[in-house]
Amino acid sequence: MSSKIAKTAFHSAAWRISLWATIAFALGTLAVFVFLHSFVAQDIQRRSDAWLSGEVEVLGDVAERTPKDALYGRVVGEVAELASREVPNRQAGSAALNDSVFFLQILPDGSPGIWVGQGDRNVYSQAIRVARAASEKPADVRVPGISIPYRVAADKSDDGSVIYLGLSERDELHVLRNLRLRFAALWAVLVFLGYAIVFSATRRMLGRVRDITQAASQIGHDDLSTRVPAAARNDEIGQLALTLNRMLDRIEQTVGQLHTITDSLAHDLRSPITAIRGRLEASLTTDDESDRDEAIISTIDLLDRLTEFLNTSLDVAEAKAGALRLHLAEIDIEELLRAMIDLYEPSMTDKGIHIVLRTAGPLCLLADAALMHRMIANLLDNELKHLRPASTVQVELQLQDTHAVLMLTDDGPGFEESLLAHLFERRIKGRESNGHGLGLAFVDAVARAHGGAATGSNRPDGGAQIQIALPVIASSIH
Amino acid sequence: MRLLLVEDELDIQGFLRRSLEEAGYHVTATSNCVAAERAAVEETFDILIVDLGLPDGDGITLILRLRELGVRAPVLILSARRSVDDRVRGLEQGGDDYLTKPFALAELLARLRNLLKRNTPSTAESARLRVMDLELDLLRREATRAGQLLQLTQQEFVLLEYLCRNAGRVVTRTMILEAVWGMRFHPDTNVVDVHIYRLRGKVDGDSKQPLIRTMRGVGYVLKDR
Repeated sequence: MSSKIAKTAFHSAAWRISLWATIAFALGTLAVFVFLHSFVAQDIQRRSDAWLSGEVEVLGDVAERTPKDALYGRVVGEVAELASREVPNRQAGSAALNDSVFFLQILPDGSPGIWVGQGDRNVYSQAIRVARAASEKPADVRVPGISIPYRVAADKSDDGSVIYLGLSERDELHVLRNLRLRFAALWAVLVFLGYAIVFSATRRMLGRVRDITQAASQIGHDDLSTRVPAAARNDEIGQLALTLNRMLDRIEQTVGQLHTITDSLAHDLRSPITAIRGRLEASLTTDDESDRDEAIISTIDLLDRLTEFLNTSLDVAEAKAGALRLHLAEIDIEELLRAMIDLYEPSMTDKGIHIVLRTAGPLCLLADAALMHRMIANLLDNELKHLRPASTVQVELQLQDTHAVLMLTDDGPGFEESLLAHLFERRIKGRESNGHGLGLAFVDAVARAHGGAATGSNRPDGGAQIQIALPVIASSIH
Repeated sequence: MRLLLVEDELDIQGFLRRSLEEAGYHVTATSNCVAAERAAVEETFDILIVDLGLPDGDGITLILRLRELGVRAPVLILSARRSVDDRVRGLEQGGDDYLTKPFALAELLARLRNLLKRNTPSTAESARLRVMDLELDLLRREATRAGQLLQLTQQEFVLLEYLCRNAGRVVTRTMILEAVWGMRFHPDTNVVDVHIYRLRGKVDGDSKQPLIRTMRGVGYVLKDR
C-alpha cells in the first residue's frame, strides 16, 4: 500500500514539477557560487602576491645595504623574521609555530646562505631550483614533504646572491575551504527547503485538480446534480472549478429540458393519435362511401397537423437549448414581409380583415429564411384565426438603432389578461384557440436564435401588439 | 423508367414500391448500402430514391460512393430528420432533391418527375402552354380560356402556369407554396386554398367544364381531359 502511494507520488505531476524546479534552482546557485569562489580566490592571491613582492624587495634592499660582516646574517635574519610576522590572511593560533613563511638566501655559488624558517633549507633550495622561481613575480613552489605549496618571490642582489621569500598558501586554501564548506551546508539546506516548498505548493494546487477530477468522475455515475468543490480563491483552478460547474449547470438544464420535452411530447401525441385511430375505426364501420372518404381526408389532415406540431415542438425545444441549426444568409426582411403579406392577403380579405404594411425601406438581416417564413406565417396565422371580421392588422417595419423592429398591431380582442405574462411559453393558448399552443413560443424561439427578442402586450385602446426585434447587418444601416 | 429504391423500413419500401409501380416506374428495391451498390453497378437506373438512415451506413456516403462509381442518375433523398443537414443541402445544389418524412405521395411523384425533367436535356421550351381550351402565352404573360382573355395578376399567372405544367397530376399545397412563393413550410391556415379559389373563380367562372379540381386531403389538380 505504502509502496503504491510512493509510486503514485513519483508519478505525480507535483513530483516532476518540483524535481525540475529544484534541479534548475540548485544548478543556478551552484554556478553563482563557482563564480564567486574563483573571484575570492583570485583576490586573496593578488593580495598575498602584492605583499610578497613588496617584502622581498625590502629584504633585498636590507641585504644589499647591510655590510657583509659577522652581523650580516643576524641582521638580515631578524628583518626577515619581522617581516614574516606581518603575513596577510594569517590564521590565529599558528603564531607560535610560524611555518607559513620562509626566507632563503642563495649565494652566488649556488649554495644556500641565510635561512629563516622551519625545516631543512637544502630541501627548500632544491625545490626552488626545480620550480625555477627567480623573479619578483611570485610563483608556486612545491616543497617535498609538505602538501601545501608555497608562493615564492625572488630578489637578485648585485653581488649575485638571490633572496627568496616564501609564503605558504595554507591560510588562503583554508579560507577557501571554509567558504566551500559553509556554502555546501547552506546550499543543501536551501535546495532541500526549496524542493519541499515547491513540492508542497504544487501538490496542494494539483490536489485541488484531483478533487475536481474525482468529482467529475462521480457525475454520470450518480446523477447530474453533483458539483465540483468550489475554490475559495479565484485563481486559475478556482476558475476551472467555476467553469466546470457552469458547464454542468447547462448540461443539467438541457437534460432537464429534454425530459420535459419528451414527457410533454408523449402527452401531446396521445390525443391526436386517439382521434386518428377513432376516425379510422369509424370509417371501417360505415357503409356510406362519402362518410368513409371524409374520415380518411380528415385523418390525413390530422396527421399533417401532428407532423407540423412535432416539428415545431422540437424546433422550439432546440432553440431554447441553443441547439437550433440556422442556415444563415443575407435576406431583405422587407421583401420577405411583402411576399408573406401577398400570400396572406387574400385569406385576410376573405375573412373581412384589412391588412396594412408600413415600412421604411429595405433592411438586410443575417437570418435563416425558412425560419423567418415560418415565424411570420405563425404571426399571420394567429391574426387570421383570432380576429373578427372588419378588423385591421397593421404590420410595421422600422429600423431602431441596430435592430429591425417588426410590429404587428391589431384592433381585435387582445390577449387574455391571464396569459399576458406567459405569452411566449410553450402550450400557452387562449380559451378559444384550437391550436397547439406553440405559435408564439416558436416566434420567440426563432427571434432568440437570431439574437433578437419578441415582446407582446395589449394596447391601451384595445387590440394586441407583438413586437419582434432582430439585429440587422451593420453595413445596411445608413 | 428504371428506379432504384434504397429504403430499409420494409413497410415504407412496400408501399413506395407499389405506388411507384402504379405510376409506371420499373422499381428495384434494396434495403442496405451494399445491396444498393451492387444493384447500381449491375444495372443502369434513370433515378434513385435513397433513405438517409440505412442499417449499414449513411445514405449520403452511399450517394457519394455511387457517384464515384459513375452513377450519374439524379437522387431523391428521403430523410426522417426534420431539419435538413448541410450535406443534403450540398447535394441539393448538385442537382438532387430531398423530401422529409412523412411526405405526400403526390409530392414524391412530382419531385421525381422534376428530377427526371431536369436531367433530360429539354427540347426548346415552348412559349405557349395549352390544356384543353386554356392557353397560356408565356412571353406575353397572358392566359385565355376558350379565346377569352383572363384578367390575372402576376402571382395568379405563375400559379396557373405551375398547375398547367403539372396538368393531370395532383399538386399539394406545400408544392404550390414552394413553386410559386419560394417558401417551404406548412401553413396552419387556408392561405394557399384562397389563392386557388380566386384563380378558379377567374379561370372556371361558371363554366360547365371546371378545370381546377380539389383533391380533398391531398391538394389540387388541373384536369387535362
